[in-house]
Amino acid sequence: MLKIAAYHSPLLLAEAVSLLAEEGRTVIAGGTDLLVNPRYMVGVREVVDIRKLGLDYIREENGWLYIGAGTTMRTVAGHPKVQALADGILARSAAVCGSPNIRNMATLAGNIASALPSADTPPSLLALDAQAVLVGIQGERVVSLDSFFVGPGKSVRQHELIRELRIPLANFDRLRGGFYKIGRTAEDISIVNAATTLNIQDGVIIAARLVMGAVAPIPLRTVQAEKALTGQSPTEETFQRAAEIAREEVRPISDQRASADYRRRMSGVAAVRALRQAAGLAPHGEEWHHA
Amino acid sequence: MPEIEIKLKVNGRAVAWRIHPGETLLEALHAHHLRGTKLICGTGDCCGCGVILNGRSINSCCMLAAQAEGADLLTVEGLAQDGKLHPIQEAFAEEGAAQCGYCTPGFIMRTYAFLREHPHPTEEEVRAALAGNICRCTGYVKPVAAVLRAAEAMGG
Repeated sequence: MLKIAAYHSPLLLAEAVSLLAEEGRTVIAGGTDLLVNPRYMVGVREVVDIRKLGLDYIREENGWLYIGAGTTMRTVAGHPKVQALADGILARSAAVCGSPNIRNMATLAGNIASALPSADTPPSLLALDAQAVLVGIQGERVVSLDSFFVGPGKSVRQHELIRELRIPLANFDRLRGGFYKIGRTAEDISIVNAATTLNIQDGVIIAARLVMGAVAPIPLRTVQAEKALTGQSPTEETFQRAAEIAREEVRPISDQRASADYRRRMSGVAAVRALRQAAGLAPHGEEWHHA
Repeated sequence: MPEIEIKLKVNGRAVAWRIHPGETLLEALHAHHLRGTKLICGTGDCCGCGVILNGRSINSCCMLAAQAEGADLLTVEGLAQDGKLHPIQEAFAEEGAAQCGYCTPGFIMRTYAFLREHPHPTEEEVRAALAGNICRCTGYVKPVAAVLRAAEAMGG
């Protein structure tokens, strides 16, 4: 039994926000990280469940795709609009987050709030230029995921809840994407993962994002590799060069899943395979596949 | 520690349970004499504690009992009807799809949720559906055969 003195399940956002303003309280949604990882329970005496706040939605509005904080990985993975966005990289990364039982409970926003460098969905969200809408007692603020993560398990979130995530749809028709995860199995925690988006016009990459997971204290945008991609044509040669740069940008550690050296090497492999997908150059066996 | 009351439906029966705020759903099941659902890893990694919550298979070890307020819960005890095993249970028995048997309830509950959505699964789909269920006797071939047999028996 966990040392939790009180469980709150507010029906109104304002109520949840004022509950969270006090020390010793934290947000629970799916609970699949919170309840099994002691790091999240340090100093926590009470939990505030946000699942009855009506935040289980995915909707499109004014050029943005909004994903409410109560939306499970299962819903994200199966949603047609998410599947259509940049070759479905976000849906695909949600589809390999844990087991089916976990995906039925775990939320996308929870994967962001947990702020683990090895998480499956942050690279895709970063590649899509997503933002988190945080609500606290002081009001609401929008934080780009680029500046959300601080370190392993740490983010800029303070006594706040994530109300929703939002993704700009401005380049929806032109954005291509790739996602590649290296793990012992699809269900396991990533050893390395990579997500990319490329905006290709007239055979030239005019904007690129390449984001690596499990290779730094935070989900890492490899900005030098992104620069090397921009202005180039989407060819194998361009991708190999970018992957080589990405390999130098990562800052991996050794742990029970892989050595730092292996992670660095695999960073290049994951990057190039994600990039090939985005350009439609993935050879047989490297295309996206999930039963 | 203060106790709270939750109301929910368990295996078709409306119940009111006194629980602790820090109790997991799995602990609450055990406290209420429903011990068919097993604690194995306790960290959400093995799906051994699988139950059906509002039609979806979930791990009862990493959810608070308090979060089950108002839920419709099905556990392995609720499958057999009038002393007759559920076709999934029959199929697991027929195929010998259990060695030590500890992970079996989790496999069966995952199968229950899966077959409701995929009544005509391919073997590949079955393998993907069971990928999160860990059997440390490493008996994975027979559970897959059992799920395919159950699908056929249930008329798919």
